[in-house]
Amino acid sequence: MTCEKYKNLIEKYIEGIISDGQLAELKTHTQMCDSCRDQFERCVLLQDVVKHAFSSRTSAEQAGASILDKLSSEKNRLLAPARYNKALLGREAAVAAGIILAVGLYLGFALGRAGTGKPSSAPPKSQVPISIGDLEGTVLVRHKDSDVWQTLQAGSNIYLGDTFHSTARSACVLKLDDKSKLELNQNSMLVLNSYNGQTQFFLEHGECTASLESHHGPFFIDTPNGRMEALGTEFTVTVTDE
Amino acid sequence: MAVELKQTITGDRQLVRAALNGEASAFGTIVERYWNMVVALALSKVSDAAEAEDIAQESFLKAYSQLARLRDPSRLAGWLSKIAMQQCSNSLRRAFRVKMALGCRATPVEVLNERVAITANPGLTQNQIHFVRQTVRRLPEKFRTMIVMRFVANLSTVQIAEQLGKRPGTVRVRLHRAYKLLRKELAPLLEEVES
Repeated sequence: MTCEKYKNLIEKYIEGIISDGQLAELKTHTQMCDSCRDQFERCVLLQDVVKHAFSSRTSAEQAGASILDKLSSEKNRLLAPARYNKALLGREAAVAAGIILAVGLYLGFALGRAGTGKPSSAPPKSQVPISIGDLEGTVLVRHKDSDVWQTLQAGSNIYLGDTFHSTARSACVLKLDDKSKLELNQNSMLVLNSYNGQTQFFLEHGECTASLESHHGPFFIDTPNGRMEALGTEFTVTVTDE
Repeated sequence: MAVELKQTITGDRQLVRAALNGEASAFGTIVERYWNMVVALALSKVSDAAEAEDIAQESFLKAYSQLARLRDPSRLAGWLSKIAMQQCSNSLRRAFRVKMALGCRATPVEVLNERVAITANPGLTQNQIHFVRQTVRRLPEKFRTMIVMRFVANLSTVQIAEQLGKRPGTVRVRLHRAYKLLRKELAPLLEEVES
């Protein structure tokens, strides 16, 4: 039990957040405890070995002087305010290019639709009894077997196979019935799948929160890492890369 | 530790401001402060020590020319690390293109010997240094950055989180995972060095 405390101190040492007093306390303990001493010494040695294996052949002072010499010989690298303006101009140019690209894409999309005179994607097959509750920001929806993303709107019909993508600072609430809802948080992707005739939710990435009525039947949310089952009435599922 | 963090951040802010006002010596101090970290980050991606130092130098020159674009000077270390990683990728891409253009195959394996390496540590041989670097290089990039920033730049997990704009908990978990992997992989070497 006592060693547990010192193991925590060793962890703090690894993290670089140990205080001088705690370090002194740990060192005193390692003089009496072989196990903690081995662990601590191994930890110190590992850090030294990595540090030395990755050390530079040129000293930091020499490097600093050499870089300053190089800078003074290259006049075009001056830190004048003009450099800042140039950076800003670059950013403005990027924004302008982005706007032009967005307008181009929009026009292309609109003209493409007008030209064919029919919907760009096959009509979705089975509608599900889910409606859109609150909607914040821009949430996109893509029907099954379609490559087109459309903006989700309050009255949109929901079909099996739909994929929802919430962008930054946007969210939407899917009302499953009168008392249950599923909230898709920002930067998330949710797919409505069908299994044995039932709607299933697959959270590809991001976060969603389910609020269910108190006596609900089995409710699952699938993720790339496994299936979550709701045991209570409120729960949140998060899928990250970590 | 909090006081130390505050001092580093304040120091970085002042140095950046001074360098932007044309004080070249301030930028020299920035180089001195982060040279080892940037070289180590480069060494965690490329195998040649001279190439890593070239990349570090290019990274600092680029940082100097773009210093006015640094939005938050208190995150100087994180910003430099990103520039260094970008420069590494550019360098690797260049090397790959040259190799393809010349029709070369893989680079011949370096001839290593048991001579003691010319580094700060007289205790490690070239072979051992090579082994440690290879082991770190095999780690995922997010782990490598943690290891270098913690063990070489001597930043704490709190400071790393601040620099990289991540949650301290995330940094802590990554560091411990990386540490555990390294400890396992380097166990034979550590025993060799200890004896």
